[in-house]
Amino acid sequence: MILHFINKGVPQKRLSISVLLLCIALLLNAQTVNAAEVIVSANTIEQLKDFHELRAIFSLRTLYWPNGEKIKVFVLPDNNAVHKKFVKEKLGMFPHQLRRTWNRMTYTGTGQPPVTVDSIAEMLDKVQHTDNAIGYIDRRVEDESIHYFNAH
Amino acid sequence: MNRFITLMLTNIVIAFLLSFSVCAQEISPESAIAVPAQEENKLWEDVKKTWRDDIQFHGFLSQGLFSTSGNNVYGQSKDSVSADSTEMGLNVSYQALNNLSFAVQGLYRRAGANTGDAGEVTLDFGFVDLNLLNLQEGRIGVRGGRIKNPWGLYNETRDVAFTHPTILLPLAYFERSRTLFLALDGGQLYADYNTSMGDFSFKFNYGWVNADDKELLLAIINDPTASGHLESDPSFVTQLSYEILGGEYVFALSYAELKMRYQAKNMGDPYAQMQADIDTFMVSGQYNGEYFSFTGEYSLQWNEFTDIRFGVPDNSPVSEHWYVQAGYRLLDNLQATLRYDSTVQNKNDRYGKGVEAATGGMVPGHLFYAQDIVFGLRWDITPSWMVRAEYHRMHGASNISLLDNPDLTQIAKDWNIYALQVAFRF
Repeated sequence: MILHFINKGVPQKRLSISVLLLCIALLLNAQTVNAAEVIVSANTIEQLKDFHELRAIFSLRTLYWPNGEKIKVFVLPDNNAVHKKFVKEKLGMFPHQLRRTWNRMTYTGTGQPPVTVDSIAEMLDKVQHTDNAIGYIDRRVEDESIHYFNAH
Repeated sequence: MNRFITLMLTNIVIAFLLSFSVCAQEISPESAIAVPAQEENKLWEDVKKTWRDDIQFHGFLSQGLFSTSGNNVYGQSKDSVSADSTEMGLNVSYQALNNLSFAVQGLYRRAGANTGDAGEVTLDFGFVDLNLLNLQEGRIGVRGGRIKNPWGLYNETRDVAFTHPTILLPLAYFERSRTLFLALDGGQLYADYNTSMGDFSFKFNYGWVNADDKELLLAIINDPTASGHLESDPSFVTQLSYEILGGEYVFALSYAELKMRYQAKNMGDPYAQMQADIDTFMVSGQYNGEYFSFTGEYSLQWNEFTDIRFGVPDNSPVSEHWYVQAGYRLLDNLQATLRYDSTVQNKNDRYGKGVEAATGGMVPGHLFYAQDIVFGLRWDITPSWMVRAEYHRMHGASNISLLDNPDLTQIAKDWNIYALQVAFRF
C-alpha cells in the first residue's frame, strides 16, 4: 500500500481497469482513444513538475505557480467525456472526488472553484488568452499557439 | 405561498446587496481619486477585469417532500405530505489580492415549526481571509468574521443538498443542535500541508457560536414556557483531516468545546443561573472509489447542564452517535446509499428508562435514542440538477423536533419516513 503511494501515478488496480476500458473503447470507436492533453498559457510553460502537482493544482491545494502568480484553472463540465478521461488519466482521480473538494470550498467560502467552460473551443480560447492559465483538451493538435504540458 | 415567494426574493436581494457592498468597499478608494480622462478608461478596464476574473457567485436551492408515519418531520408530515423544507443560499467571493479574499453567503431556510411557514434568512458565513504563507507544499492563514465550523465530514456544508448522499443527514448531525454547530463568530487559523503521501488540513475556530435556538433550549430544560434564551461564551471547534489520492481516502478528527448560559428576560426567571457545556469529538473515515464508497463516523459528547433551576439536579449525560454507510454508483450519475445509524442521548440510560420512570411515563423513553436504517437513491440529472428519494425505518425518536411534535404522549417508537428532494446548484 505504502509503496503504491510512493510510486504515485495511477494505481495498478485502476490502471488495469482503464486498460480494459480503453480496449473496449478501441473496439467500439477508434476516435475515443485520443489521450487528454494538458494545456497551459504561454507564460507558464516549464512551471509544472510532476503528476503530484497536477493533482494539487486541480484540487486547488496548490494555488500559485512557482513564480508567485495565481493559477487560473479551467475545466469542462463534470459529465463531459473529456473531463472524465482527463481526471482519470492525468490526475488518477474520479470527477466526483474533485467535485467534493470544489463544493466544500465553494459553499464554505474558503476557495473559488475552477471556471467551467462549455466546449473544447472555449477551453482553447480561455487558456490561450488568460495569463497563468491551465486547462486540457481532448487530443494533441499541432499548432504553435497551443502550449502543452508534457507529463512523463 | 405568496409570502414565501416574497421572502425568497427578499433573500436574493439581500444577498446581492451584501455582495455589492463588499465589491464597493474594494473599488471605492480608487474611484474616489479624481483621474484624468485617459486613465479613466484604464480604470474601467480594471474594474471589468476584476469583475470577470476575481469575483464569483454561487448558489444552491433544495425543496423536500416528507411523508411519515408516527411522528412529524419538517412540518405536518404524519400520515400526510409536508413541503415545509426549503433551503436556498447565495454567495459571492472576491479575491482582492493574491493573499487577501472576502466571502459572504446568505441562507434562506424553512424547516417545519422551528422556522415557521415564512422561514428565516440568516448570514451563513461572511469573513475576510488573509493568507500568511503560501508554498507549493502548503499554506497558513487566518480568517475573521462568521466562519463555518469544521465538524465531521458534512457539517460545513450541511445545508447544501449536493454535498451529502442522503436527504436527512446522519443522526450525529443533530438537527436540534444545528445552529450550535453551524458556524461561529470569531477567527479561524488554517494550515494545509501537501505531501506525496497525502494531504493534511488543520482548522481551528475560536469565538462565539449561535446558541439562541428554541429547539436546543427545549431539549435542555424541557419547559416551553421559558422566556429567556441561550447565549454563547467563547468556544472552539477544531479539525485535523488527512486525504490520500486526492480524496479517495479521507480521515478526520474533530473536537469541540462549546459553552453557553441562559440569559433571563424577566426578573425572577427560575432558569437564570443555568449553564451548559458541551465537550465532544468525532472520528471520521471515508473511502470514495470509482463505484463504491464507504463512510463511518463515531462521536462521543459530554454534556454538562448545571443550575438548571431550583429543585432540578445538575445533569451530565454522555451522548454517543455512530453510523456506517455504503454507497454504490450504478451509473456515473445514479448512486444508491445504505446506512445504519444509531444515537443515544445518555450512555448510562440508553433507552431512556430512567427519565420515563422519573416522570411517571410523561416523557417517553424512546425520546432519548434512535436507530435508523436508510436506503436512498440519488440521480444527478446534470451537474446542476439532482433528485433523490429515500426511506428510513426508525426505531426511537430522539431526532424529532419537539416543536413539530408538541404532544409527548403521542410520540411513536417505531415509525417510517419517506422523502423526496429536488436540488439545484450553480
